[in-house]
Amino acid sequence: MQFGPIWRALMRNKTGAILIALQVAVTMAIMVNAISIIQTRAEAMARPSGIDEPNIFYISSIGFNDAFNERVAVEEDLAALRAMPGVVDALQTNSVPLSGGGWSMGLQTEPGDDMDGVGVAVYFVDDHALDTYDLELVAGEFFSPTDIEWREGSSSTWPDRTVITVAMAEALFGEDEWRSGVGKTVYINNNEPMTVTGIIDRMQAAWNGWDGVERTMLVPQRTLFGSSRYIIRAEPGLRDELMPQVEEMLAQSNKDRIVRGLRTMEETRERSYRGDASMIKLLMFTIGLLLLITALGIVGLASFSVSRRTKQIGTRRALGATRADIAGYFMSENLLISGMGVLLGAALTVGLNMWMVDAFDLDRMEVWLVPAAMGVLLVVGQLAVFGPARRASSVPPAVATRTV
Amino acid sequence: MLSMQNISMVYRTDTVETHALRQFNLDVGEGEFVAITGPSGSGKTTFLNIAGLLEKFTSGRYELDGKDVSSLSDAATSRVRNEKIGFVFQGFNLIPDLNVFDNVDVPLRYRGFNGAERKQRIERVLDMVGLASRQKHLPAQLSGGQQQRVAIARALAGEPRFLLADEPTGNLDSQMAMSIMELIQEINRGGTTIIMVTHDPTLANLAGRNVHIRDGRVSDSDADTQLAEVAVG
Ligand SMILES: Nc1ncnc2c1ncn2[C@@H]1O[C@H](COP(=O)(O)OP(=O)(O)OP(=O)(O)O)[C@@H](O)[C@H]1O
Ligand SMILES: [Mg+2]
Repeated sequence: MQFGPIWRALMRNKTGAILIALQVAVTMAIMVNAISIIQTRAEAMARPSGIDEPNIFYISSIGFNDAFNERVAVEEDLAALRAMPGVVDALQTNSVPLSGGGWSMGLQTEPGDDMDGVGVAVYFVDDHALDTYDLELVAGEFFSPTDIEWREGSSSTWPDRTVITVAMAEALFGEDEWRSGVGKTVYINNNEPMTVTGIIDRMQAAWNGWDGVERTMLVPQRTLFGSSRYIIRAEPGLRDELMPQVEEMLAQSNKDRIVRGLRTMEETRERSYRGDASMIKLLMFTIGLLLLITALGIVGLASFSVSRRTKQIGTRRALGATRADIAGYFMSENLLISGMGVLLGAALTVGLNMWMVDAFDLDRMEVWLVPAAMGVLLVVGQLAVFGPARRASSVPPAVATRTV
Repeated sequence: MLSMQNISMVYRTDTVETHALRQFNLDVGEGEFVAITGPSGSGKTTFLNIAGLLEKFTSGRYELDGKDVSSLSDAATSRVRNEKIGFVFQGFNLIPDLNVFDNVDVPLRYRGFNGAERKQRIERVLDMVGLASRQKHLPAQLSGGQQQRVAIARALAGEPRFLLADEPTGNLDSQMAMSIMELIQEINRGGTTIIMVTHDPTLANLAGRNVHIRDGRVSDSDADTQLAEVAVG
């Protein structure tokens, strides 16, 4: 291609070209940074919770009169739930991963009031937790039935053992040392010792935006807080069938409480990330809109430049240009304009990213996004200019003698 | 060299049919200098466009260099225009955004010559038209006569066998017109076949042969020539 004279001719009509190049640059900067944000959010959304989400649902049971004996109710409920056909296992707990509400405490490896503990999400569970959540025990042992105690709502003491996630073990004992945590003593409430008996692969906390979302501890207690939450894991495919049955069974079996809040884990995840999902949609829409506006700008500039140069096109045809030469001229011209745009855009993108990382504490963008976006914008430019270029190539050569 | 037999050209719009050429016959030999005259609307430009392969004709037979050109593809006619034909237009048709050098370069790039060859050719033709010192000027910085010289240089740079000119002096005052005519005559003496449309009988008489077109037909050209000779005395 003959970029030399195309460039020199372009430089005699800079204004439009510079505006379009700027538009390309701004589009690229916003696009790349938006994609970077989308990536971060999408990665967060893709993190596994560590539990068998498709088959798990939960429901709350709340006693509402003095006749309600919570301890008896929990034991009866769990026995009944675990006996239901289609139920893999069930347990009582205080909170649900990704639900937004739960307990957190601090754990430390040495006792002492002046130490900062490592923040951790707390789930009270019994010995059925591995089966109910489908957790993977990667070191040590899990709770046995005799480990399970009752916890009063007013209690502030802790049992002598706990099971923690790999992420929590890494935070307490070091990245490569997490396995060594089994058998070690950690301190809760600054001074109260608990022994880490086992380590599970993964289980997310209730808060997806927390940077310690995978730091979780399991405590071998059933709670007497007046309100119980039952986690139920169904056999694959039976969840939706079981949910109304469970609700009905619990409601009928004990008239001194109400049951409510029947919900699947899938819905919990969806609600948890609803904000992120709409943010991603909004950003994608913005990117699409910007690309469209840029493409339209390119179409506009190219169309204008084709009609302004009709006679010149006819003259070039008379002098021996083929249709392909003419189309190539406008495609090349766009390549130069868009090329300026993406070069400027690369600088603008990096600048905007540095500022955003600084101002909003975002993750730095991945470097490959810059060349990828440059490529995308060059392709968009070529596609946008294709129509005007084709129109230019169909200007008849006789225009050279017929117009004044 | 150029042979047209029974060429017809009909322009059709929704409402009218214009017969721009009817049963048009003309033969031009190698090295001839033919002036085409005729009233406005008689079909001079139409003839030149067809001769220069800028337009397809409706019917008839046209041979250029002994080859029937009516069936050539668009790309092939582009190549013939590029290699065999040079065009000079009434409005000069220089590309306003390119300087003199780049303007003359346009057909050479389509020809695919390398940079050194193009440069050498451009310098030679600019020298020939007396504008060697104006290579970096833009068309707008030149007089009309100078612009037409650049256009002639551009037409000649590829060494075409054929030069077609539609009113090449139409936009110039008589002094500049004369010097352009002298240039064209000189080019003809160099062996290039020239067909020039003009409405100026004085300039037409400088050509080797006059063809008069009326209503899309060649009127008796011998008679015209004789009349002209009588007039000149
Ligand atoms: N593209 C076209 N569509 C329709 N009619 C046309 C077209 N081009 C030319 N004509 C008609 O064809 C006829 C011949 O036109 P042409 O331009 O060849 O005349 P001309 O001899 O060059 O005239 P002038 O001396 O004014 O340049 C005219 O009647 C003109 O209106
Ligand atoms: Mg004309």
